[in-house]
Amino acid sequence: MISGQTVRCAPRAAWACLSSIALFIAAPALAQEAAGYTPMKPTPGVGMPVDGGLTFQHQYSPLGEYALKIYNWALMPIITVICLFVLALLIWVVVRYNHRANPVASKTSHNTTIEIVWTVLPVLILVAIAFPSIDLIAKQYKPAPKEALTIKVTGNQWFWTYGYPDNGDFEVVSMMLNVPGQPEVNPGTREVGTKPWDGPSHLEVDNRLVVPAGEPIRLQITAADVIHSFAVPSLWFKLDAVPGRINEKVLFVEKPGVYYGQCSELCGAKHGFMPIALEALPRDKYDQWVLTHPGGVIDGKDAAEAAAAPAATPAVATVPVDSPLAASTGAAE
Amino acid sequence: MASTAPFASPDQARRRNRRVGLIGLAVALAMLGMGFAAVPLYRIFCQVTGYGGTTQRVDAATAGAVKAIAHPISIRFDANVERGMPWQFKPLQTTHTIAIGQRDMALFYAKNTSDKVIVGTASFNVEPEQAAPYFNKIQCFCFTSQTLQPGEAVKMPVLYYVDPAILKDKDNKDVEQITLSYTFHVTEIRDPAPGAKTLDRGGVER
Amino acid sequence: MATTADHFHGNAADHGHDHAHDHPGFFARWFMSTNHKDIGTMYLIFAIFAGIIGGAFSGMMRAELAEPGIQYLDTFAKWFGATNPDFTTTLHTWNVLITAHGLIMVFFMVMPAMIGGFGNWFVPIMIGAPDMAFPRMNNISFWLTVAGFISLMCSAFVPGGTGLGAGTGWTVYAPLSTYGSPGMAVDFGIFALHLAGAGSIMGAINFITTIFNMRAPGMTLHKMPLFVWSVLVTAFLLLLSLPVLAAAITMLLTDRNFGTTFFDPAGGGDPVLYQHLFWFFGHPEVYIMILPGFGIISQIISTFSKKPVFGYLGMAYAMVAIGVVGFIVWAHHMYSTGLSVDVKMYFTAATMIIAVPTGVKIFSWIATMWGGSLEFKSPLVWAIGFIFLFTVGGVTGVVLANGGIDDALHDTYYVVAHFHYVLSLGAVTALFAGFYYWFPKMSGRMHSEFLANLHFAIFFVGVNMIFFPMHFLGADGMPRRIPDYPEAYTYWNHFATVGYMVMAASLVVWLANIVYAFVAGRQAEDNYWGEGATTLEWTLSSPPPFHQFETLPVIAETAHP
Repeated sequence: MISGQTVRCAPRAAWACLSSIALFIAAPALAQEAAGYTPMKPTPGVGMPVDGGLTFQHQYSPLGEYALKIYNWALMPIITVICLFVLALLIWVVVRYNHRANPVASKTSHNTTIEIVWTVLPVLILVAIAFPSIDLIAKQYKPAPKEALTIKVTGNQWFWTYGYPDNGDFEVVSMMLNVPGQPEVNPGTREVGTKPWDGPSHLEVDNRLVVPAGEPIRLQITAADVIHSFAVPSLWFKLDAVPGRINEKVLFVEKPGVYYGQCSELCGAKHGFMPIALEALPRDKYDQWVLTHPGGVIDGKDAAEAAAAPAATPAVATVPVDSPLAASTGAAE
Repeated sequence: MASTAPFASPDQARRRNRRVGLIGLAVALAMLGMGFAAVPLYRIFCQVTGYGGTTQRVDAATAGAVKAIAHPISIRFDANVERGMPWQFKPLQTTHTIAIGQRDMALFYAKNTSDKVIVGTASFNVEPEQAAPYFNKIQCFCFTSQTLQPGEAVKMPVLYYVDPAILKDKDNKDVEQITLSYTFHVTEIRDPAPGAKTLDRGGVER
Repeated sequence: MATTADHFHGNAADHGHDHAHDHPGFFARWFMSTNHKDIGTMYLIFAIFAGIIGGAFSGMMRAELAEPGIQYLDTFAKWFGATNPDFTTTLHTWNVLITAHGLIMVFFMVMPAMIGGFGNWFVPIMIGAPDMAFPRMNNISFWLTVAGFISLMCSAFVPGGTGLGAGTGWTVYAPLSTYGSPGMAVDFGIFALHLAGAGSIMGAINFITTIFNMRAPGMTLHKMPLFVWSVLVTAFLLLLSLPVLAAAITMLLTDRNFGTTFFDPAGGGDPVLYQHLFWFFGHPEVYIMILPGFGIISQIISTFSKKPVFGYLGMAYAMVAIGVVGFIVWAHHMYSTGLSVDVKMYFTAATMIIAVPTGVKIFSWIATMWGGSLEFKSPLVWAIGFIFLFTVGGVTGVVLANGGIDDALHDTYYVVAHFHYVLSLGAVTALFAGFYYWFPKMSGRMHSEFLANLHFAIFFVGVNMIFFPMHFLGADGMPRRIPDYPEAYTYWNHFATVGYMVMAASLVVWLANIVYAFVAGRQAEDNYWGEGATTLEWTLSSPPPFHQFETLPVIAETAHP
């Protein structure tokens, strides 16, 4: 990726030294409703796993619906039929050709016709699967339009940060809520279930990734330390967060709601404790949410400039970008 | 090696075994070498094909020969630092809309917020990945490592253009915006030279 | 198939030879052994031992996963030597368990049992050779594997970053395994892989040389039993893939300890390159684990159908095809890393191709039984179980091959279900089938057929209870490698843990069967399976003489039926 292989001097010492002065501030879990935004209450069974579930979560993105359709109407029937076919053949063989039913074994060991059939037939089946499969991949890789909102996702050991470069470049730190009766996962965050909008334990976070619903979003994903993976099953979305590079993919949430996921690449001790809670809001509600953040701007206007904007009370739950330039980095042209 | 000679003497057999064994060893060593060779080969592959979002590097002369055409494209700029690196690192513009083939300069701002001298190196890539072979950098702070004194802040330029050939590439027909991303990593940390004045050329620079 | 015993002028004189020789003493026989059968036995015993440890680790994992919340991990952390583990250290123990379980089962259970155990025992015999080509190297291979295992065990007790032991997963992805895991544990783990890898490469060279050079007169490649073919293909896969792993983990080692940046973006490296190198090894590795199983199943099906294998050449070359294609599909393990669109489409298409030769094998096994006169001895029961379970694992592989579908399934329990169906229920079932097929030949004592079938019945129920619900969990979105989970996943996790207990009970039956055989089992005849058993090992006594085929058997030219 970079030209030239440089050998670092004492890299481990540097790492240790820097970790101690890491600038990350665990955002205290304070009520956000004071700032003109109340987190949405998730609907049970929507955007989250269901008790004893047998199949995929209901999909809330067009490509998720398409992929699930391919699975339900092509892959699942085909693999079921193949398994049952093999099972039927085995049962038939066991019944018909056991040594009592068939004391003398035939000596047949070739049959060119049947060998060609069982080579060509699977090829045809696979080709039939390949068409929708390749089409799905092509659609998944269609880039976002120019004007699409860009949101930046960064994986950290063991939490996510979400940056909003088009809305004033503020950053949201998102940590899993502690589970009652279990050791504290993130000291300083509250316990799950203490607010009316809290979703399932192990999935709910203090600050959600808030996005507008019904429009394509350019999600850019990276990691600050080791590899993580950003995944939301009910949106058929999974992309690795690799340190040193960004990965990009279009996210489209059809309707407002809360959608949960979990880190999906082993990233160290608390890998199982860095969930993703994604809250999709109608565009106007999203804009209101943006303006609750210091430095939050919509189309280059901050809260004071936006006519109907609510009071720009700083929301403590977010970390303002500590840059002298934050105010001057405008939204997309 | 299709069939075994029926009555090989023990000596012959041993010699034949040794030959096959040594061939096997040679194959294993060759694959071991391939494993290591994969590192430079992968880098060359990425540079040539743009795989992994690797941008192209061109000299000013080549760039001068490229004509801009009236077809706009949006470029987005993204900046990251590895966890714990005490630098602020920001693009000074979120996006630029330029004509394809037109040379453009983007500025990035970096500030060392620690009291140590820090040498940083930037890794980079572009998304969507298929645009990488057409993204040409003439000049970039990422070509070399950058040293910032304690408290020092700098503006760093990137001079680049998008190759008009991108318009002929089917894979890129839907690409309306290209993101150029950088991540700074610590290469070296050292104490400031004794007596050196702490620099603060930072402040609000625009 | 060509190799019917009628064609061999098997050497009756061999049987008597054994006792005429001076046996080496205990230490010389078992520690400095150059005898392929003794080394094979040691490999099998070692694999059983490692398998019990690896299986115990999975039991610890299933116990923790039985209920949401963390119940036992702090206790396990203390077992590894942590005093007053904090929550992070406790959770680190989970990662140590999954890492150790994976590495042990792959490198120290399945591979030693399949290749080291059955391969060593029966490849030389089946081709009519007196021993392996390099008997002393054979011994070194075994002890390197043991040393590797000891190194891996040591790693569990030394610091590995957030706790004791290496918690990187068996894939050892950078940068979690480099700057993400300070401490010696990962170095010990890498060293374990180096030792085991070196042992396996030596073993591979040994098998290739043996099979190419030491076949008895008349035993052409196209007359070799399919088990020998499977080991030959496997040996080539080992020879071509393991050195790449060795290179990759050596670079990890220097990244960790000597300041290089092969996989560190800070110095221009790319963590994704490590994944490419790992899976260039890792995908052939899964065929390394299953191909010898294919070979075992082919021998068993043919034996108990009293028929030659259907489509012998197709079967042999299907394995070659699987081996070749196995080298060009590796990035289907990396669909979520941000591959470009063309790359993802290519790997989707290439991966699906593997289903074709695999299908040929499944159908050929059924066709072998078709028209046969099936004798339902325990190995055949296990083999039929294998065919069905492997089919289930295979078709979910076709699902996972689709890059777009994999966006939902990658790194979920669906993947765990898939690879346990092909490995835990595929390779391990094949191992048990082979065990019951050859145990009396190796030990000279008959096992109890009743216990063997009981073992199968309980095992079959148990493993399906463990792994079938994992498809549901994965589809519902449960990520793998997590010690705790949202409550919605409780039902099927609990179910799987119950399944584990059923499976564990079946292993008690198996061990009881071994004890029974040695205590009360009757003496095994030369060919205790009767007319269907036609390969060369059945012309020898049970157990075979210490040195067999001192006069080489001659295989008649009249071959193909």
